[in-house]
Amino acid sequence: MSIRFDTLVARTTIVLILGIATVQIVGLQTYRASLSADLSEATERRLADRLLTIKRTLAGLPEELREDAAHDLSSGAIEAHWSKDERAVEADSVNPMWTDLQARLVELAPELGEDGLIIGEQGGQNPDPHVALISMRLTDGSWLNVSLLSWTPRVPGAPQTVMVVWLIAAVALATAILLVRWISRPLARFADAANGFYTTGKVAAVPEAGPYEVAVLARAFNDLQERLARSIEDRTQALAAVSHDLKTPITRLRLRAEEIENSPLARSIAHDLDDMERMIDQTLSYLRGDRSDEPLRPVDVVAILETVTDDLTDQGAAVSFTGPRTAVVPGRRLGLKRAFANLVGNAVKYGGTARVSVSEGGKNVFVEIEDDGGGIADADRDRVFLPFVRLESSRNNKTGGFGLGLTIALAVIDGHGGTLKLGESSTGGLRVSVSLPKQSG
Amino acid sequence: MLQQPNTIQGTEGRVLVVDDDGEILSLVAKFLRSNGFVVITARNGAEMKAQMLASQIDLVVLDIMLPGTNGLDLCRALRAESEVPVVMLTAKGDEIDRIVGLEVGADDYLPKPFNPRELLARIKAVLRRSRSPEGTSVHGTGRLMEFDGWQLDTLKRELVDSSGVVVDLSTGEYDLLLTFLEAPQRVLTREYLLDSTKNRTLDVFDRSIDVQVSRLRRKIEVRGELIKTVRGAGYLFTAAVRRK
Repeated sequence: MSIRFDTLVARTTIVLILGIATVQIVGLQTYRASLSADLSEATERRLADRLLTIKRTLAGLPEELREDAAHDLSSGAIEAHWSKDERAVEADSVNPMWTDLQARLVELAPELGEDGLIIGEQGGQNPDPHVALISMRLTDGSWLNVSLLSWTPRVPGAPQTVMVVWLIAAVALATAILLVRWISRPLARFADAANGFYTTGKVAAVPEAGPYEVAVLARAFNDLQERLARSIEDRTQALAAVSHDLKTPITRLRLRAEEIENSPLARSIAHDLDDMERMIDQTLSYLRGDRSDEPLRPVDVVAILETVTDDLTDQGAAVSFTGPRTAVVPGRRLGLKRAFANLVGNAVKYGGTARVSVSEGGKNVFVEIEDDGGGIADADRDRVFLPFVRLESSRNNKTGGFGLGLTIALAVIDGHGGTLKLGESSTGGLRVSVSLPKQSG
Repeated sequence: MLQQPNTIQGTEGRVLVVDDDGEILSLVAKFLRSNGFVVITARNGAEMKAQMLASQIDLVVLDIMLPGTNGLDLCRALRAESEVPVVMLTAKGDEIDRIVGLEVGADDYLPKPFNPRELLARIKAVLRRSRSPEGTSVHGTGRLMEFDGWQLDTLKRELVDSSGVVVDLSTGEYDLLLTFLEAPQRVLTREYLLDSTKNRTLDVFDRSIDVQVSRLRRKIEVRGELIKTVRGAGYLFTAAVRRK
């Protein structure tokens, strides 16, 4: 199964994934940022309070008790000592975190900075970058030195939150896919109906059910189909009626022509009448398509082609036939005869000659018709199957015909489940290759 | 140029032509008269019945589209009380298959617009068949003729082999085969065969009977010889024929 990305389901899924991912990322970032801001503010406030407590406590004690008290007040990340001079050294490359902290602490507890506050690294060699030293001068000029372990505020619970959000996303996605499939399934019926209408010419109504919008569309679609069918039907009937009604005057003309003594005149009138009759026959059989009443029966293709080629030979055409004695396919004798008469007749008309050959292979019977004419350019090979299309540019207008021969032949071969292809013959003319299945269906 | 045999007025037979188109009626009548028939005309079913009672008719040419009772019903009614052969004129060639299925009892069908010579040939063939004395060489009556495993439907003009395969015949081949089947095991001269299979359109020139015979042989002689050449005389159809 190939995956398509232009289906409704695929598109909806892609848009949903992108949307959810964007919301996730932005949300998570915002969440983290606000959470860490809250956390650091709380931590800083607590730090400021403790420093203030230690400072006040030590300031109120006699000098000999200060170091012990400082030690007692140390806990966790804070380790306090008392000394006569400051320990903190302002390093050249001060960790921006410490400068930041200094400002924040002074802001939170202005009393801390009143007598002097230095936040820096420990003096000496190889200072630990994770340890900050805060030195505060007491009112009597001695110093309280507090080592502070560096900390990064950790955002708690983030993995669970992310997982829950992704779970919600997955459920939403699955629901969306089901929903879109459910909505888009009726749409497939529209395509089926449209294709069916085109190939069979019969109205294939779409059920007017489903979501409101789809039901409305179905109703409009069915209306359109019916109106199209009616319009085609009207025109077909008009054309069929005209073609059909022409038969009576042609019959009269044929009878009148019999009364003409002058034989060449009678002959040319008969010839014109043949042309008219052929056009009417072609039009009517084109309008009917291959939907004739003739049932499928085993038919000998060779016998049909022999009849067709013999008739043309009798009319003075250069036609050859090679093939096995018989080649049987399920078919409609009159339809196939009409199709092959058109194809071989075209070869003679436009190519001067016709070489017809039949062969059997596998599940098919193959018929090839070659001529020595100018052939048909690659670009025109699809076009010539359209009704009423004639390639007059390369073909003589006098040759008659009015562009239904190939159309009818294709319809008949199609109706037999076969194929009809145009190519180039060995002499540069046209080669028509027909393949008919030996088993129907 | 072919000579027209038997064109003496009225020697071919009496034909009743039924058609509601006055022009066609008079044109067909004129054409058939010039080819040796006595022609009586009718425009509808009532006139047709009156004419049938008034005179002896050898064959009826009946149009299918008639005001009032249509040609199919008229044919069925006619067949119920008479054996007179009927050639029907139909509107569409493709309708023939369906009409044949209705079994109205017509002996032949011809689609409009027909070639007058084709009509003449059909009339003659039907008359020949109806006049051939029964029981001489072909047994039975009916539209199906059987020989050597083959079956020829003379109404659908269709040849089917023993396994049910439809084998197409050209008009000339069909006429020739029918002529043979009507007179099996008899030597038929080239002239006789030519006369009964005479070309029906003006612009198709005649192939000699020998060519037609060889084409027919190619199609039907699957199991062995069916048509024997009789030196200096003509051809002989060897198989037995049964009508059904």
